[in-house]
Amino acid sequence: MNALLGRLLIYFALAAAASGAVLALTAGARPTEQRTKLARTLGLAFALACLLATLVMVGALLQHDFSVSYVAQVGSLSTPTVITIVSLWSSLEGSILFWAAVLGIYTLFWLRASRDRVDDPRTTSTLGVVLAVGVFFTFLIAAVANPFLDTPAPIPADGPGPNPLLQNHPLMIVHPPFLYLGYVGMTIPFAMAFAALLAGRVGPDWTRSLRHWILAPWAFLTVGILLGGRWAYDVLGWGGYWGWDPVENASFLPWLTATAFIHASMLEERKGLFRGWAMVLVLTTFALTVLGTFMTRSGVFNSVHSFTQSAIGPVFLAFLAVVVLASIVLLAFRIHALEPGREMRSAMSREGAFVINNLLFVVFTFAVLIGTTYPLLKEAFTDRKVSVGGPFFDDFAVPIGIAITFLMGIGPALPWGRATARDAGRILALPTAVGVLTALLFVALGIDHFVTLLALAAAGFAVTVSFRDMFAPVFARRRAHGGGFFDAAGATFRRTRRRNGGQIVHVGVALVVAAIAISNSYQVKTEGVVRPGGSMDVGEYTLVLGGLRAVDDPHRHRQFADFVVYRGGEKLGVLSPAMNHYATSMNPIGTPAVMTGPEHDLYLSLMHLDAQEVGLRAYINPGVMWLWIGGLVMLLGTLVAAWPERRRARSAARETEAVAEGSA
Amino acid sequence: MTVSESQSRAAAQGRPRVSWPVLVIGLIIVVPLIVLLAQGFKYDPRDISSPLIDKPAPDFALQTVDGDREVTLASLKGKPTVINFFSTWCLPCEQEHPMLIAAARAYGDRVNFVGIVFEDTRAKVNQWLDRHGGRGYPVLIDVGGPAAIAYGVYGVPETYFVDARGVIRSKVKGALTFGTLQSQLEAMQ
Repeated sequence: MNALLGRLLIYFALAAAASGAVLALTAGARPTEQRTKLARTLGLAFALACLLATLVMVGALLQHDFSVSYVAQVGSLSTPTVITIVSLWSSLEGSILFWAAVLGIYTLFWLRASRDRVDDPRTTSTLGVVLAVGVFFTFLIAAVANPFLDTPAPIPADGPGPNPLLQNHPLMIVHPPFLYLGYVGMTIPFAMAFAALLAGRVGPDWTRSLRHWILAPWAFLTVGILLGGRWAYDVLGWGGYWGWDPVENASFLPWLTATAFIHASMLEERKGLFRGWAMVLVLTTFALTVLGTFMTRSGVFNSVHSFTQSAIGPVFLAFLAVVVLASIVLLAFRIHALEPGREMRSAMSREGAFVINNLLFVVFTFAVLIGTTYPLLKEAFTDRKVSVGGPFFDDFAVPIGIAITFLMGIGPALPWGRATARDAGRILALPTAVGVLTALLFVALGIDHFVTLLALAAAGFAVTVSFRDMFAPVFARRRAHGGGFFDAAGATFRRTRRRNGGQIVHVGVALVVAAIAISNSYQVKTEGVVRPGGSMDVGEYTLVLGGLRAVDDPHRHRQFADFVVYRGGEKLGVLSPAMNHYATSMNPIGTPAVMTGPEHDLYLSLMHLDAQEVGLRAYINPGVMWLWIGGLVMLLGTLVAAWPERRRARSAARETEAVAEGSA
Repeated sequence: MTVSESQSRAAAQGRPRVSWPVLVIGLIIVVPLIVLLAQGFKYDPRDISSPLIDKPAPDFALQTVDGDREVTLASLKGKPTVINFFSTWCLPCEQEHPMLIAAARAYGDRVNFVGIVFEDTRAKVNQWLDRHGGRGYPVLIDVGGPAAIAYGVYGVPETYFVDARGVIRSKVKGALTFGTLQSQLEAMQ
């Protein structure tokens, strides 16, 4: 029953998306009120059908309805309820259904947000492109990876349960949906850029709206990437948070181009510069999310993330090809139709900094892309398997990262238009001094690695500019109007909210850069075999193995090794890394244990465990906590920047903000 | 302004201007990438080669699950042998088992089929066999896993193809399809 209902809903969604896409795209060219309205109704039908189908699946999972093929594949009576719900995205078919549901949610938001813009043909074309993407995903569900098939008789009484990695850590519950929200969310900016090119018209309003729509998925992607890092850190047990794994790279690539667009769009909005370029970035971002999905779903790349090889790969590749070829052809035909932007007056200006920023991000994107696809290239020509390791990526990621961090300080400090060398020197004197002081401070703390110090100096430099940028207008207002600091701050921040949001994100990025620089160069690692009662030293810590204990959950058997942690004779606590055995998996999966502090983390991971002894890997990871804090600061900044304005206040706020930024 | 006016006029006359640099640069970046990704389908990243290929297959002497008969590899020489490692807790094993039974029926006179149970109990295996197509060939229990270790089993299901002289010719990880089985057997003739 559930299977049939799900199938019907998916077929309905497919039909609605297909007819809606055709109608909306033709109506966009020759708009009539009637056709626009019908297209929007079909969009609504598509969105609701996708959501309903997903709810049917969640219901089937909760009822343990093993007559639905997907439930028979990932369900199990012994799995806890929360895990049963999230097993919706634990396997290929379910994750694509979830994908469609997220696209449905975004479609609903777009329909609502564009209610007062239905006259603009670009609005209707945008819907058309979104629905065209919807056609692909619903087709995929209906024809290639259908989770709603009937289980062939006899229907099993119980199932194997989802992938053990999913059950091993609560972050696995939130990491994938954040990435999906980020990936799928890029559909709307893509559709908006596509529609703008179709119409041959961009303009500051459309760009501002586009940036608004890209901020949400960008923030989801940022959080998703960091949660993925946190998950790797807490679960995989190799002591790190980022391994340049193909799928990690896949999520990082669209993040890079989306970040580049957010900056390029400000040039477009304020100066009318690089209009076509900004559209290229949006189109590329979406293509990279499709590439990323292809990487996880095709089985072409080997990674902790990839699902088994399936028929879905070629279909996804075809979709990717259609997306990029359509984008290129559209760009080639329509880029002239966009009104040409103005000339840039001087390289030594905020515009100049934005351009260099974009160049760096593009180089970064290409380098990561090449590193990720190199193993395929090598195998295609020499038939040998290679893997590209972290050092390759670090070789370019470190210098580009440091350059971007410096630029993050230079850009906002320079004025629009043109600055003389003397102006620039005057403006950058204070941040430079703080940057140098930051480096000296860390030298005093014992850091002597040159590149690390350079990164820290860049972070200090950028943070100074961000704070000055946020607070200088407050002081200026106090000088002009008098009054208390908080009154002035309140009045100023209301006007400069969006800009301050950006600066808060910059502070977060600076923290992330500093944390990466320190944790990568100063990790301490010790390995050894410990017997109960025995001990092992790592850095200033002594770890005494107090004992071993076993815990049986319904779906797994866990063995803990309890280590008492001492520092200088003082007992700090107990860390209990574990080994988990799942009924459905042959290899045990370890769970590391971490003691977190502002200075460093003590990180214990088991290599093996039996009745007599424990193979232990102990790490001291300096500064890692600041990575997560930096991520939270980035999220906070995005929320500040993207918080919806009240409708009436919107246009007034925009004007004053423009004036404020012009004078800053 | 005049530039854009002339452009819109050109567009209105049905002569859309094409930006050749955009088209060419875009295609130069994108087409090789797509071709490269398509190449990827030819390889399986999970294809882990075994050092045992073209080496003599390790011998084993194991009991059958449904009786006390002992089967050794040496006793199977003279005909090619298909050795299938499986267990009841593995889903792909369920998928391939009926096919293996059918294949044993089809090739049984020319090829030996042997199943070796991996990390599982006798009782569970017997139940499982009853549910999934029965036992068309000897199924052996590998208590403590000496055979699995000798063959370097990485994860079940895993199938080894041993030729008539007792040399391992290939191994296949994951669920077998009839097509793969057929081509592997033909390669051993």
